[in-house]
Amino acid sequence: MSESETSTNPDQEFIRSVWEEARDLIKRLEGSTVQRFSVEAGGTKIEIERAAAGASAPGAGQPVAAASMPAATAEEIAASDDRHPILAPLVGTFYGASQPGAKPFVEEGDFVDEGQTVAIVEAMKLMNHVKAGRSGRVSEILCKDGDWVEFEQPIMYLEATGE
Amino acid sequence: MFEKVLIANRGEIALRVARACRELGIKSVAVYSTADAESAVVRFADEAVQIGPPAAGRSYLHIPSIIGAAQKTGADAIHPGYGFLSEDPYFAEICTNEGITFIGPKPDVMEKVADKATARDLMSKAGLPLLPGTVDPVNTVDEARDIADEIGLPVIIKAVAGGGGRGMTVVWNREELASQYRSTRATAQAVFKDSAVYVERYLQAPYHTEVQLVCDEHGGGVYFGERDCSVQRRHQKLIEEAPSVHLTPEMRTDIGEKAVNGALSIGYTGAGTMEFLLDQDGNLAFMEMNARIQVEHPVSEMITDCDLIQEQIRVAAGEQLSVTQDAVELKGHALECRINAEDPDNNFAPTAGRLETYVPPGGPWTRVDSHCYPGWTVSPFYDSLIAKLIVWAPDRERAINRMQRALSEFEISGRGVKTTIPFHQRILANAQFRSGDVTTDFVEQFMAEEKQLAAATG
Repeated sequence: MSESETSTNPDQEFIRSVWEEARDLIKRLEGSTVQRFSVEAGGTKIEIERAAAGASAPGAGQPVAAASMPAATAEEIAASDDRHPILAPLVGTFYGASQPGAKPFVEEGDFVDEGQTVAIVEAMKLMNHVKAGRSGRVSEILCKDGDWVEFEQPIMYLEATGE
Repeated sequence: MFEKVLIANRGEIALRVARACRELGIKSVAVYSTADAESAVVRFADEAVQIGPPAAGRSYLHIPSIIGAAQKTGADAIHPGYGFLSEDPYFAEICTNEGITFIGPKPDVMEKVADKATARDLMSKAGLPLLPGTVDPVNTVDEARDIADEIGLPVIIKAVAGGGGRGMTVVWNREELASQYRSTRATAQAVFKDSAVYVERYLQAPYHTEVQLVCDEHGGGVYFGERDCSVQRRHQKLIEEAPSVHLTPEMRTDIGEKAVNGALSIGYTGAGTMEFLLDQDGNLAFMEMNARIQVEHPVSEMITDCDLIQEQIRVAAGEQLSVTQDAVELKGHALECRINAEDPDNNFAPTAGRLETYVPPGGPWTRVDSHCYPGWTVSPFYDSLIAKLIVWAPDRERAINRMQRALSEFEISGRGVKTTIPFHQRILANAQFRSGDVTTDFVEQFMAEEKQLAAATG
């Protein structure tokens, strides 16, 4: 898909709204196993086709390289849009605040700076602070207090700002 | 019995344990690094938890992540496999503290067994034969020289905390003893953080004989015959077989009973192996005890019809062994070849890569323990074991022939991937190997002869 330049086209508004809709749909399909999606309303039709999960695994005959070993990671998946996932640094329990009842480190809609603590993942009573790898707006928090997370499981999404 | 067992390992042994769990009706949990996300055990196990990056220190050796995965999935026991955390008393203790059963001996027993000097001392007291030499660490050069004079050269100086062929030096000349004593201590300190060494007689060409045993918490102990693992290169075993052709039935019973008694005397529970050296005169000498299930356990399973992993899990759950000593009958002969992704023509350098072709052999009495499949990538992060090929036959000669047949069926290929299959085939064809007279220096000699022959004909 390419964004067409629209200057004086009378259908400009309409195209833009369809485009917005499609973008929203793509985002919402993130992380799901849906490969094909199609919706029709009036004379307008949106079709979305996505690559199968694991399709970015190392290609046939490729020499082994450390970086190419894992199957599609959350980072690779998220690279397809402008959201940046924050990943659990290890296996453990997710906490959104420093202690029960305390104000959460971040809430959806908050702006965070690079290096700011956004959550804690507890493993064997050790509190591991999870820090934002970049600045941005917290668009979605995927875990709630007490949730078990795996290594590199996305725990929240940041949306880039001011770019 | 356990409801759910977490397997803190990877590769073929993780799959082997998961298979045992399935047969016992126990749910299994695989843990995996990002490099192993597509592994066979992740597919096979009932659940799987991604625990870290490829580097083992942050995944398979990272205790908080393993414990976290067990708590996340509600596993009530952890099977450590071999390698990684399998002989770490600290890990076993943490499991216990977290209310998870560690499938292995109790932490204090593991600690005793891990310390070679303590293990030798305890086993000597329990009546196991030792090589002439010391039981206690040797603290001065003079002391080392006195011992060497007493038992005669050559002697070997060994790090108490040593293992895997490191931290040992053979002394052939009396004049070199002092410098070699000091350098071995320095190496031991550097590698194992413990400079303690002991001295014992060095056997130039012994047979490596090891006794497999399992003990339960009710005072029951059973030995499952012995294995001969003399075909090794730099202390890495290549071919293992059971039984040893060098033991008479009387010797077998004697050493088996002594091994079990020794294990029970220190409160050992679970599966374990006592390693011995056997000299040309039929003398066995205790070397060390391995407090884990070993890579080569299948050859013992093949000649005893016992599933050792299942026994191991059973006794860890507090049950009695399902077999008595009388019921363990040795039948026929079994061989195992370790098929590694290594280049035998290039100093056994590991050759990681994607397996384009992987067609394991089949047919009668042929067993393949492997996690590989076409498209699997042998990772450079871990050991290079592709498969363990195990065969059984009524006698050794037929077992060798069967192994040759099975090896000829085994198809493995991939860009840059070399395997040890051709090397195994050449060893199995060797007259001396076929005669059974194979000592621990066999592979070295075999390789030297091959080199000479190549030079002569080349």
